[in-house]
Amino acid sequence: MERRRWWIAPSILALALILSIAWGYREYQTRKQLQTTLENHYQRIFFDVKKHVENVQTNISKAMAANSSERNILLLSEIMNEAYFAQDKLAQMPIPQSDIANTQKFLNQAADYSYYLIQTHLEGVPLTKEQRGQLASLRDNSAKFNEELAKLQSDLADKNFTIGSMSNRQTARIEEGNENVFQTTLVNIDKNMADVPRLIYDGPFADEMINRKAVGLTGEKVSREEAERKVREFFGGNRVKRITAFEEGENIENVRIPSYTFSVQLDNASEDRATYIAVSRQGGHIVWMRNPRAINNEKLSIDQAQEKARRFLEEKGFDNMEVNYHQKYNGGILFNFALTEENVTIYPDLVKVKVALDNGEIIGFDATPYYTSHHERDIPKPKLSLQEARAKLRDDFEVNSERLAIIPKGKKEVLCYEFKGTHMNNEFIIYVNAENGREEDVLQLVIDENGTLTF
Amino acid sequence: MKLPQKRKKFLILTLVFTSAFLSILMFYEPSDYLSEADYNKALAPRVLYWGSQGQDVKNVQWQLVKWKYLVGKVDGIYGPETYRAVRRFQAKNGLKVDGIVGAETAAALGITLSEAAPASAQGLNRQSDEYLLARCIHGEARGEPYVGKVAVAAVILNRVRSPQFPNTIAGVIYQPLAFTAVADGQINLTPNKDAINAARDALNGWDPTYGALYYWNPATATSKWIWTRKVTLKIGKHWFGV
Repeated sequence: MERRRWWIAPSILALALILSIAWGYREYQTRKQLQTTLENHYQRIFFDVKKHVENVQTNISKAMAANSSERNILLLSEIMNEAYFAQDKLAQMPIPQSDIANTQKFLNQAADYSYYLIQTHLEGVPLTKEQRGQLASLRDNSAKFNEELAKLQSDLADKNFTIGSMSNRQTARIEEGNENVFQTTLVNIDKNMADVPRLIYDGPFADEMINRKAVGLTGEKVSREEAERKVREFFGGNRVKRITAFEEGENIENVRIPSYTFSVQLDNASEDRATYIAVSRQGGHIVWMRNPRAINNEKLSIDQAQEKARRFLEEKGFDNMEVNYHQKYNGGILFNFALTEENVTIYPDLVKVKVALDNGEIIGFDATPYYTSHHERDIPKPKLSLQEARAKLRDDFEVNSERLAIIPKGKKEVLCYEFKGTHMNNEFIIYVNAENGREEDVLQLVIDENGTLTF
Repeated sequence: MKLPQKRKKFLILTLVFTSAFLSILMFYEPSDYLSEADYNKALAPRVLYWGSQGQDVKNVQWQLVKWKYLVGKVDGIYGPETYRAVRRFQAKNGLKVDGIVGAETAAALGITLSEAAPASAQGLNRQSDEYLLARCIHGEARGEPYVGKVAVAAVILNRVRSPQFPNTIAGVIYQPLAFTAVADGQINLTPNKDAINAARDALNGWDPTYGALYYWNPATATSKWIWTRKVTLKIGKHWFGV
């Protein structure tokens, strides 16, 4: 018996071995296929980035040579597009963000700057000498960038390098020569980009916009003890059971509104749900507060909640605030209040209040926008009358309400007539500049039973 | 020691089979979170999940009450009871039990997820932003206190506004090498209620980080570069900085 069956074990083993080899080979093939697909994608992106940067470079040269503002507007919109494309694709490469941060910033700002120049062209203002200088420096820098990319491309052309191999950088051998060429080139480009002179303009990606300081904070610096006292005062009574400060880093003063941040245990809250609150270092103002407790049965109506929010703001010393939008979510309702002065709604000075729909408690408060922008304003008299402004709208735009409002436009603020209405069954707000009649902004509103969203 | 004949044969056979199975297990990679159903869910035009509100939720609740999966109010709020009822319904009807009403579950319930807005405003909502953000929060900061979850979402939104980063939420989240939860697929887990709430709070403007662009966990951070950032605040286990 033993003689006859000796082959059973080895043959089963052999079978298992063959099966697993076949299976493993199939896995290997799939993996290779996926890797190739990914690599092709990366290669495409890389070639695209090169092409887009090239287009930025040539279009800037053309824009500088062209004389008419019509041609310039077309070229600038092309520059904007190409720069955004390049940025978007560059960000998809498997490279650490720190190695391309400045390059991305350069491309984003180039696009943003083009958009800004399009606007000045449309307003009929010719380019200044400084702006031509900035365009020239943009062109030179994209040319340098383009040259480096071209060099990199020809360096890699005859080498067996895959971009995909960089995505598992931590585990892979970084000392490989090819990889170094790729990475070091991009790091070098990024270093050069860091030294690019600052673009001076007005747009969302402009340095001045990003480093804007808060102008609405009044009063002296307060200590942490003072801030804690303000927190107890804010909640009133003896509601605060325990108060813990967040651990701070050495650069806490570097933020837009330097604040003390606390975690607070309120008397009616469960132990695992803290309330969070921030007090500004300058002036000891409450910047924001949030109580993320669960809300189960909603009893209050929107009007009742709005009344609670309004009374709360009055109590905290925010006068002349007018509710604009609300948004219902997570059992609470968030109201946006904007300041009104002389019958003008000032949208930059915004305060948000969230009311719990079970007992009307204030569970959220955010005055960050208010403290960022609030200052004494000289509201100009509108040069256009309401009728004149209204005549600027489309004939088939049906106006439901109108008023004066100040809206932010980059760093500046502009006085506008605000027209709320409908066009082809969609709701819009259209802002018409009260000084020169330009259509400053168009917002689309989407209204459902939970509130209003603007797009 | 000499083993009896039968015992020996048995032993050999077991050995063969275990080694065969082991070799398969060694190469087996779980790929269930990448299954088709999940992709459909992410791409579906409208999904209802824990925290959703409105008429569509009411319709779902109506059907569930009618078929006795749900005992409770038809209030239009996707709460824990609706969640459990949907799961029961999905289990009974052979659907993927995830507590989310997507196209398939809606069809099984005999309802269509309506879009009340006019054609040109169709699909204009914040749900996809909310959901993607919530998934990233869930993958990155599951064990963090609530404020820590909002803080992670706030960093993503601050990056969207920064010129140094991509300009969309998806662009920031899926930027290669940016988030570990994206790289290891944890982002595809179904977010819980806290993550969705945190995403909404962040989208509504709450930024507990005061404009931070980076965060890292000092216990697990492998990159030396991250320590060159300007450190501002510690929230939960994470340090935040610009």
